Amino acid sequence: MSQHQILNPADHGQLRIHTEAGAQLGDNVMASLAMPAEFREVQAHYPIVFRRDAETGKLAALALFGFEAGENLFLNGSTWDARYRPMAHAVQPFLIGRAAEEGAPPQVHIDLANPRVSATGEGMRVFDDTGAPTPYLETLATMLGDLDYAWHESTAFFDALEAHGLVEPFSLEVTLDNGAVQSLVGFQTIHEDRLASLDGEALAALMAEGHLARIYMVLASLAQFGNLVARKNRKVALG
Amino acid sequence: MSNAVQHIVIVGGGTAGWLSACLLAARLPDQRITLVEAPDVPTIGVGEGTWPTMRETLATIGIPEAEFLRECDAAFKQGSRFDGWRDGSPGDSYLHPFSAPPAAEMRDMAQAWQASGQPGAFAAAITPQHAVCAANLAPRQRAMPDYAGALNYGYHLDAGKFAALLMRHGTQRLGVTRIAAHVTGINRAANGDIAALVLRGSEPLAGDLFLDCSGQAAILIAGQCGAEWINRSDISFNDRALAVQVPVEPGSPIAAQTIGTAHEAGWLWDIGLPTRRGVGCVYASRFLTDERAEDILRSYIAANVPGADVSKLIPRKLAFATGHRDRFWIGNCIAVGLSAGFIEPLEASAIVLIELSLKALAENFPQSRASMDIHAARFNDLFRYRWDRIVEFLKLHYVPSQRTEPYWQAQRAPETIPPRLAECLALWREQSPSAWDFPRVDEMFPAASQQYVLHGMGVPVPLSGKSSSSPARLAEIAAKSRALAAALPTARDYLDRLTAQAAATRIPA
Repeated sequence: MSQHQILNPADHGQLRIHTEAGAQLGDNVMASLAMPAEFREVQAHYPIVFRRDAETGKLAALALFGFEAGENLFLNGSTWDARYRPMAHAVQPFLIGRAAEEGAPPQVHIDLANPRVSATGEGMRVFDDTGAPTPYLETLATMLGDLDYAWHESTAFFDALEAHGLVEPFSLEVTLDNGAVQSLVGFQTIHEDRLASLDGEALAALMAEGHLARIYMVLASLAQFGNLVARKNRKVALG
Repeated sequence: MSNAVQHIVIVGGGTAGWLSACLLAARLPDQRITLVEAPDVPTIGVGEGTWPTMRETLATIGIPEAEFLRECDAAFKQGSRFDGWRDGSPGDSYLHPFSAPPAAEMRDMAQAWQASGQPGAFAAAITPQHAVCAANLAPRQRAMPDYAGALNYGYHLDAGKFAALLMRHGTQRLGVTRIAAHVTGINRAANGDIAALVLRGSEPLAGDLFLDCSGQAAILIAGQCGAEWINRSDISFNDRALAVQVPVEPGSPIAAQTIGTAHEAGWLWDIGLPTRRGVGCVYASRFLTDERAEDILRSYIAANVPGADVSKLIPRKLAFATGHRDRFWIGNCIAVGLSAGFIEPLEASAIVLIELSLKALAENFPQSRASMDIHAARFNDLFRYRWDRIVEFLKLHYVPSQRTEPYWQAQRAPETIPPRLAECLALWREQSPSAWDFPRVDEMFPAASQQYVLHGMGVPVPLSGKSSSSPARLAEIAAKSRALAAALPTARDYLDRLTAQAAATRIPA
């Protein structure tokens, strides 16, 4: 059960957050939402794939950490073995909230049921003793703002992909060192042939909107599957 | 080699004796080590503050940090705070923290602080440790490797429990032999060395090198080897202490530093452990009666320890001579601990002197009797130097004071100030303390310590001609202070969590 509250120094003056990595802190996940605005960073570490919402049919991008539910091959005890984590994952246990009225500024909310919320007196303070935000909260609030902006502007990117028919189903099947077959189904990726056949006018439009570079970031990220398989093999080998 | 050193015999089983036994066993694995302690002589048990050196000492001995903290009811010490030393007015307080930036940087920052009109406390401008101490935070997080921290730190500990832990560790894991017996005399070798200890009720105990850790009794170095006492009470006036342990309420904050509070004729120590606070009133009997000292102690506790039942407390009175031996190593006998000397515990110099003695010995160990006199001469020279520096540094805490009581006026009378300190104080009006003033290896109180006390006491920072002062560095310290204050747990939460974790692992599955 999540338990959302508007973050404020009166209620959360002594609140501390566990900022290290850990399965018990909610890092045992196989994927996180990735924003097109952060594809450059994400593709340097993780494969990026798309998923179509079964009900709305809308696309979203994911950074993959593993091959199965609950499997994060980047998690090693209390460390996360990559320099970058997708914003949507890194902002936990915070989220963006909006007041009911139209155009109200976004607020920082917190999910007090998230395991990152500390009950031990250890972890990072959110407010200092004067009630001012700590440098940690300042950083997180900036990231929440970036995430909010990136989420809203991502619609244009996915609309463009759909408009040009640049998405196709994607499945992966690899044989691990121990002979087991690892498969991944139900995702989408860039339709490379369709991309190669776009005319100059379409390419110019995609480039002008800033979409073209991001499309190629997604293509480049597929090379990370090799690293992900290597991580899986190491994990299997270590038992 | 018939005169090879193979067997070290230690007399005395307090902090000095057991620390010596463990450290020498760990560092000199080829030596046989025997410790003799009288079965019924209590240890003095008031040395309860360590320096950061203790982390390396414990790591060398091989005791995990969590085990040490739990077994000794220990807490973190990040420096000393001095309340009421400048003039005794409200808010008169400064910190001498263990963390300091590199020397050149610290001089620049001190100048920037002075030039910008001294915004806030000196130590707060220099190190994030000031903010961390003010919030009673631990210097580390539990996930960090043993003996590592975000800031430099030592410990406050229960000295009785510490000696007991070291005894268990030394005898069970390091191969130290313990003999419970009274030493009644010695057998002397032809060259005047100690050949063996005569023990009541058992055979004489022969050895090659003898450590006198018998405390103020100094039964070997003074009793047998003829070391003379050098009295320093002309400079350091305090000669009495009333000490008491006060239980604290569960969950109460644990102070991150020793608190030394000035009073009319001395000062009070206040050392916070998880379960109790050790409080003591140090004073000069020449200026204060024992009764008045007890009043001062009781009112301090009533005012500063929440929930304390002052009427139930029975302080222990300690009388001490201030001074040290003229030699610490004579023949094949070395004085380690209180047998070497004692001065008021204002900067917790007792335990660190034990560590420094053992470091000097272990790193310059006589393989045979042939080299021993050379080592002894160097050791004596080094520790005479160290005692002089300690005496001067402690005096530095009193000299800039503006308190008006007779005791405080006497403390700054020119004839009581050592000439070298007087010279330094004259120099430090024109230039900051530096390695030119403190050039030795392992100086106990380097320039940074002198600056913390000087400027904490209100002596201005000399502004030299060139202006390399760096307000940007001061802003960085302020930012680092905020970040660390947010990241570190309170000492109370850290230590309670450690205890809870240990309790949980003891429950059978």
